Amino acid sequence: MDIVGVGRVERLVTENAGIVDVLFTERERDYCLGKRRAHEHMAGRFAAKEAVLKAFGTGIGQRMRWTDVEIVPGRRGRPEVCLHGEVAAWAKRRGLADIDVSVAHSAGLAVAQALAVWDEEAEDSRRGREHAGAFSSH
Amino acid sequence: MAETQTISAVQEAVVGALGVSEDEAAPDATLMDDLGAESIDLLDILFRIERSTGVKIQASDLSEYMQGGIPDDEFSDENEIISEKGLEQLKKVMPQINEDELRGTLHAENVIKLFTVQNLADMVEQRGGSAGS
Repeated sequence: MDIVGVGRVERLVTENAGIVDVLFTERERDYCLGKRRAHEHMAGRFAAKEAVLKAFGTGIGQRMRWTDVEIVPGRRGRPEVCLHGEVAAWAKRRGLADIDVSVAHSAGLAVAQALAVWDEEAEDSRRGREHAGAFSSH
Repeated sequence: MAETQTISAVQEAVVGALGVSEDEAAPDATLMDDLGAESIDLLDILFRIERSTGVKIQASDLSEYMQGGIPDDEFSDENEIISEKGLEQLKKVMPQINEDELRGTLHAENVIKLFTVQNLADMVEQRGGSAGS
């Protein structure tokens, strides 16, 4: 789960030219900038990206980009998560089976909650390989 | 860029992004625990530093810098507790840490919480130097 102030995001993108391209994919930018309260939607998407990374138990790790976690409108406007690049590769290695996200805005705040479902066999297998690798390197 | 200019640029970025006082943005203050920075604030700080120094650092570069190229499975164990090798690396980029206190207890996700204003200035200095060479 993540919560972010709409005003904080507005200040971030207003004071830092170019940061919108770092944070959002072209589809996300088109979606947000097409809305009347664009900063509110940007805040919602930023909170959703953070919530997804928290559900994965990681921050923005090595070689990961904010645009690797893309929030797009799905059926009936419900947000859906598309993973790309290093984040997609990381999730695949860990055995991600499904990821769901919901976003809400109110009182100047954007709140997002993400739920990740993992394939335990894939995770157990990964841990086993890492453990074996650790022993073999000694 | 002289080291004093670099630390001043970093402190100015921290003050601007977080709204803290110059005294609070002391070199030994940790960005997240002491100054309350969140990931959105780190982004803001890094963009401000880029504007004032020309040194471009992305959020994901921070973990790469701290990990120093050590593979994940050597940097921490299967429970993501930082290994001895990982602690040695962290001591290089965060000389203020007490590795004896952290040994066997430091979780990978908490490493960023130890990162100080001075550590960030050192990183900017290093990146600026390598960019200019």
